[in-house]
Amino acid sequence: MTTIPYIDMLTVMIVFGIGLYTLLITRNLIKVVIALQILVKAGMIALVLAGRINGQVMTGQSIALTVIVADTIVAVIALALAVQVKKHHGTVDLDKLRNLKG
Amino acid sequence: MASILIYLVIGLPWIGALLVWLAGDKRTTVQHILAILFSVASGIAAVALLFNTSSTTVINLDAGGVFGQFTFVADGLAVFLAVVATVIGSLAVIFSVDYMHGEKSLGRYYAMVLFFIGGMAGLVLTSNLLLMFFFWEITALCSYALIAFHNDDPKAVAGGIKALIITQLGGVGLLAGALLLFSQTGSYDFNRMIADPGIIDPRILSGMAFGCLVAAAAKSAQFPFQTWLPDAMEAPTPISALIHAATMVNAGVYLLARFFPAFKGVPGWTTAVILVGMISAILTAIMALVANDLKRVLAYSTVSQLGYMVFAIGCGGVYASQFHLFSHSIFKALLFLAAGAVIHSVGTRDMRQMGALGKQMPLTRFVFVIGSLALAGIPVLNGFWSKELVLEAGLQHGPIWAYAFMLLSAGLTAFYTFRMVYMVFYGKPSSEKHVHDAQPAMKVALIPLAAGALLSWLLAGPFSSLLHNSLPAHEIHAITTTEVLMEVLAAPATYIALAVVALGLIAWWQRQHLGGVAHAFRWLTAAAENSFGFEAVNAGIVRLTLGAAQKLRTTQTGLLNWNIAGLLIAFIAVILILVVRG
Repeated sequence: MTTIPYIDMLTVMIVFGIGLYTLLITRNLIKVVIALQILVKAGMIALVLAGRINGQVMTGQSIALTVIVADTIVAVIALALAVQVKKHHGTVDLDKLRNLKG
Repeated sequence: MASILIYLVIGLPWIGALLVWLAGDKRTTVQHILAILFSVASGIAAVALLFNTSSTTVINLDAGGVFGQFTFVADGLAVFLAVVATVIGSLAVIFSVDYMHGEKSLGRYYAMVLFFIGGMAGLVLTSNLLLMFFFWEITALCSYALIAFHNDDPKAVAGGIKALIITQLGGVGLLAGALLLFSQTGSYDFNRMIADPGIIDPRILSGMAFGCLVAAAAKSAQFPFQTWLPDAMEAPTPISALIHAATMVNAGVYLLARFFPAFKGVPGWTTAVILVGMISAILTAIMALVANDLKRVLAYSTVSQLGYMVFAIGCGGVYASQFHLFSHSIFKALLFLAAGAVIHSVGTRDMRQMGALGKQMPLTRFVFVIGSLALAGIPVLNGFWSKELVLEAGLQHGPIWAYAFMLLSAGLTAFYTFRMVYMVFYGKPSSEKHVHDAQPAMKVALIPLAAGALLSWLLAGPFSSLLHNSLPAHEIHAITTTEVLMEVLAAPATYIALAVVALGLIAWWQRQHLGGVAHAFRWLTAAAENSFGFEAVNAGIVRLTLGAAQKLRTTQTGLLNWNIAGLLIAFIAVILILVVRG
């Protein structure tokens, strides 16, 4: 029986909570990207933690590393899109970017 | 041998469909020739398959995983319907050469027709219920695409979508049946269930039985789903002849006949089948009385005749129903193609704008009259023998009230058939326009069908032994043609039915003197013209769906913050449920 390290668990929850809260209140596209990054960071810590609880430390850490790589690409593309959106529409306010809504 | 033939029957039309499409719309002659070649070749393969029938599985493809074995069986019922699909299919393709001459996007047309022929043959030849569902949906797709072939005409598109949606209801029923069968027996092969229905839990079997009835009613345009077939008449006429008279609409009857041994023990099922058939037959016969669109009259009569087949199955007369299916697909394809020749040269489908066309179109009149006599059930033609067999099965095994209603609709059939023939070919001409008779390719398609309507009843004996030899569970007795004929001629039911048919004819003859009767029934006429309120029900369902969609639209704000809030609430709800349940 492995004990669950509460301090790590708490960290995951707090970081995840910060990301979710930011998504809930922000309307700025750049801030949305940052909030998504924070959410993914919480996910990474959770992966490492899960590996430790399971006794498969290596698996957890290597998956976390993979997530870092994938997540960086997502962030880069999202930011590049945000720049294009700003160029085309002159705004990064999500409430004003409603052209696709039917 | 049989396995190669099955591959050919299904595969040849599909290869042809691909080639026609690849040939491109600029080479129309190549398209016509390819379509005829491949459909006729498939028809020949199907006829050859008639001599290789057996009740054992002849093809067994391992599809792996949950799909199980894709099995094909060449038993009498399957091969007979495959022959109907491919032979009438090739005649419809030959007819199309003249009928569709000069139309745009012929590639789409022929590819869909050939794809349909292969799909229909597959539907009847397979014994895997899941595979049957796939083929079932292929036929529904082709039916939709061909009804909406003139896709710049909003009525055609609406008719196609209506047919697609209503037949989808049936498809869902069939899929549910397939999954239930798999959950009970661990395989999709329905022949095991037909041989021994006891292997399935009675409650599940009851669910499957009524699910199949819904599927069959939706596909065969039976009550309460009959509304899609008249609207499907926007399709080019060869399509109406092939898909909406001779083959696809028979798939529902085929399904009921195929599963009859398994479902006949389910309480209430046979009564429900009798009711569905009876109501369809009588309602649409009345609607055919008041319709003025030539193709709609034929569509209503198709639903009515399909009602006869369903009724016969409910009464246990599988042989009678399949024999009527055989006769009906010949004479109704003939009627539709002849009507196509008329419409092609007159340029309208409204019978009030026709009249006295007989002199200008002698051959078309000749074959149309043959088809009409068969439809009305006049002796010696194939429709007479098969309809008498159906009515006899109804008298022997069915409730007497249902029999009375079927007799009434036989009289109505005679009445509206003669009204139709009179309005089109006799009476006063309504326009001075010159019309031409059927063109060469049309004649090639019409004459074999007319010969079939005259003579196909001679096959009653071989047909019964075909079904008897390869369908052990259906309890069909092998009888010779002479025995069938003697049985029909000796039965008092025949003369009652003939008397009713004659009454229908006399009523048409003396229609001027019956003005008072017509006046008394004008409420019925009005109701029939409004399709007994079924269109209103359909419109109500459409309104309800659209209204609900419009209301639900407000939940789709497209705002990120609201969506995140929704996610969060769902997340909390899941956590709470997990906590509460420990």
